[in-house]
Amino acid sequence: MSRRTKIHVGLEIGTSKTCIVVGEIKPDSAVKILGIGVTKSAGVRKGELADFPQARACLKDALAKAENVSDVEIGSVFLAVTGSHLQGVNNRSTFRIPDGQQNILPEHLEEACSIARDVPYPQDHVCLHTIIRKYLVDGLEQSASPIGLFAKTVEADFHIVHGIGNRIQNSIKLVRECPLEVDDIVFAPIATAQMALDREQRLRGALLIDIGGGTTDYALYLDGSIAASGCIPVGGDHVTNDIHLVTGLPFSKAEKLKILEGNASSEPSLSVGVAKLADENGFADVEVKRAILNEVIRQRLEETLKLVKARLPAGAVEAIGSGVFLTGGTSLMNGFSELAFDVFGRDIYRPEPPEASDTGHPSFKDPQFATAIGLIRYAQILETENTKPPGCIGKLLGLFWPFGR
Amino acid sequence: MIEYSRDRHESIPSSAVKIVGLGGAGANMLERIALDSLEGAELLALNTDIRTLSACLAKEKVQLGINLTKGLGTGGDPELGQQAILEAEAEVRKALKGQRIVFLCTGLGGGTGSGAAPIVSRIAREEGAFVVVFATMPFFFEGRRRREQAETALNQLAVLSNALVTFDNNRMGELVLAKQGIHEAFAAADTMISESIKAVIRLVIRPGLINVGLDDLMSALRTTRSRCLFGSGISDGKDRASKALRNALASPLLDQGSLLKEAQTVLVHLSGGESLTLYEIELLMRSLQKHVPDHAHVLFGAAIDPAMGDKLSITLISALPEDALTGASKDSLSKLADTAKTVAKIKSEELESPFSVIDKKSEDIPEPDSVSEEALEEEPEATMEVPSLFDEAEPEKEAPPEKSVEEDEDDRPFAEFTSKPAPESKKETVSETPVEEAEIQEDEPSEEQEDEETTDSEDSEDSEDVKSKYSAPPGPGPKRRPPQKPLWGKDDKTKDSDAEDDEEDPFSVALDEPAEPKKSSSSPELKLGSKPPGSQSELSFDSAPRGRFEGENPNVVDGEDLDLPPFLRKKKS
Repeated sequence: MSRRTKIHVGLEIGTSKTCIVVGEIKPDSAVKILGIGVTKSAGVRKGELADFPQARACLKDALAKAENVSDVEIGSVFLAVTGSHLQGVNNRSTFRIPDGQQNILPEHLEEACSIARDVPYPQDHVCLHTIIRKYLVDGLEQSASPIGLFAKTVEADFHIVHGIGNRIQNSIKLVRECPLEVDDIVFAPIATAQMALDREQRLRGALLIDIGGGTTDYALYLDGSIAASGCIPVGGDHVTNDIHLVTGLPFSKAEKLKILEGNASSEPSLSVGVAKLADENGFADVEVKRAILNEVIRQRLEETLKLVKARLPAGAVEAIGSGVFLTGGTSLMNGFSELAFDVFGRDIYRPEPPEASDTGHPSFKDPQFATAIGLIRYAQILETENTKPPGCIGKLLGLFWPFGR
Repeated sequence: MIEYSRDRHESIPSSAVKIVGLGGAGANMLERIALDSLEGAELLALNTDIRTLSACLAKEKVQLGINLTKGLGTGGDPELGQQAILEAEAEVRKALKGQRIVFLCTGLGGGTGSGAAPIVSRIAREEGAFVVVFATMPFFFEGRRRREQAETALNQLAVLSNALVTFDNNRMGELVLAKQGIHEAFAAADTMISESIKAVIRLVIRPGLINVGLDDLMSALRTTRSRCLFGSGISDGKDRASKALRNALASPLLDQGSLLKEAQTVLVHLSGGESLTLYEIELLMRSLQKHVPDHAHVLFGAAIDPAMGDKLSITLISALPEDALTGASKDSLSKLADTAKTVAKIKSEELESPFSVIDKKSEDIPEPDSVSEEALEEEPEATMEVPSLFDEAEPEKEAPPEKSVEEDEDDRPFAEFTSKPAPESKKETVSETPVEEAEIQEDEPSEEQEDEETTDSEDSEDSEDVKSKYSAPPGPGPKRRPPQKPLWGKDDKTKDSDAEDDEEDPFSVALDEPAEPKKSSSSPELKLGSKPPGSQSELSFDSAPRGRFEGENPNVVDGEDLDLPPFLRKKKS
């Protein structure tokens, strides 16, 4: 929409990594990623800040890398937040058009929306998103704005994401101290969905599951609009921790074993024998029975997926037409799509494992960056929505303006 | 005449299975079973308390002690419970008539449960049923008295029933999370028992591809004074075989599978839908091998039941002699050898109680595929011995057994009766028995004589006068049985031993193994102590290591701490 190229920056402070993506939105609304700055996170637990100074140091490091790679001076960012305190709820309001009036006037709709947005949530929570799902005019679905239609009642169906205010404030404070401005805060799975799901998939119904290091975020789209979102405070770290607790291996070895040898599918033939890790001298250093290793991984991930499934509204899984989209670092786990299929019984889409890039820069296709890249897309959409249709003068100007549009 | 049964698998019609809930706890179990809508089996509720009885979902109900307690409970007095059941004996007998299998569910420790359960079990056995008792033991906090009442009843039931499965209420905590409500804990216990009953019914009713029948069941539950080990698991979906096995082994009755290590004979029954594959069975049996000793006799059965759909259920049944539970695991084979020796001794010395030993023999005989050749060799010895004793002793046989039976029948104060098998008084009874029954040799034959009657029921006319002296129930009992025998797939001896058990219970407790009751009284405590206290979910909550999430707020979702590995959590529950 915008006539000039615009640069947006997405920032995600995840449990395992902090990453900043710099994206350029071209006049034809194509997105070009200019650079990614990634650094290992410290001081973040289950998606929430646990150690402020450490997290700030990581953020600064990532920022420096991103600026260096993309050759852009970053002034403001879109921030993705997550954590188990964030939850998405649906709410619907009904507004009766007053007697004597036949059409839906803007103020009627405004009233309906404000009622719908008014979800009872705890005192300390703040509202992060209010996303309109659909309007209903006399009980009939109406996806576009119903202003001007004849009706008796108008209903507004909203999806509201709310979370604990102080925690969100702290995330913002961290970014501001950097110093960076925060353009907007976005619930992580909603940002990820902007990138991972296209319009058609959302229309047919799609579930996005982003399994990161410390959290599993999910967003469900049905009939083109968001139907559920939330966060479960379990992620890849838990898998590593489970292996550590069950086998007694140190974390570093457990992590390596998980990535190299682990398999989440319940295929019995993969659980035969012993998984070995060689040390630098080539000797077997760690040996774990595959049956145990795979069982530990599978039970953890299966439980996580089942928790997600349990939180979806009734009948939602059956309504998913296009499938389940997995992203996030843990989704690279071997056999994960088989497991996901066992749990959901829907088509499973999983990102390709990233190719090793020889440039030394991380690949954009890596599902680890899905959220940060999604933020760029989110920024773009937000911009489109906020751009007011040009007025009279604008239109005249547009006629003569040789560029743009 | 022996009827020819056309039922190839000798399966038992479901109409011949009855589930009896006795007392308040029994009513609860029955309710759970009724809610699970068990097809086929009939439910019978027995209770003294008219309020709980009227609220019960069972189709048949018998109120006990109408005149005695007048619709109230027994107030925890087993004596009252005993008298109450005797008052209603005719009704109960009528209700149990013609049943092949009777499951008796009860909670021991209270009045109705502890007092009436042995009697109900006896009646059922007299009516020719295979009696499986599911009994719950009281909580420790209910006090010693209740505990003792329960132990007394348990000792009686151990002899009177064909199989005894006990569930210690103290272990209820293992079934549910600490956070969950008490009703859920009780419901979980009831569910477990109802699952067990269903599994046994499935096993006996469904004709199998690889059939296991009552004979195998008997074999698995061989030892007379035994505790049943029971595990059943059901699962579906991918990997269902290992999941079902895991569920089965998780049964508290198996002590997380560790008790199976002691088992001599294990009955494994698989039942699944049409999708059951050989590969699955192989996988499952291979993993089961790890839990049972190498030399154990595994009786394997499999059945296809289209109603199971995608599910697969596995049932593990085994029995341990009571002393094995306390740790001193006695090899059942060596035990057999011991009994053989004692038989020989008895022959030579004409000691007090050959019958208790002989009874044991005859219990062993029906097992068609018993592992021990020893047992088979010994069989003839025992059986040959019986008639000789019998012939000698015929004249004055009646007196002692009659006594015990009559004690049951006329409403005499039951203190004497119960006190006999009670663990404390056992030593006295050992010394008592010879004094009371000076002519013990004659006494045994009387038991044998009953054997005779049942084996050749036509011959029993000559001893009709003897029978008439017997109280009513035992007399007609054996007569009724013969036509049923072929269906049972057992030889006559089993019946006799069944019948015998009823009468000789006070004696056998006294004479069998003098040291045993003591052990059994302490067995539940030891059982509890043997398993790690950590498995109580309450404790593990704080104590379990959490790795990198150490010291954080518990990450609790739906009552489960997500920071703990599901692998460890699932194992525990």
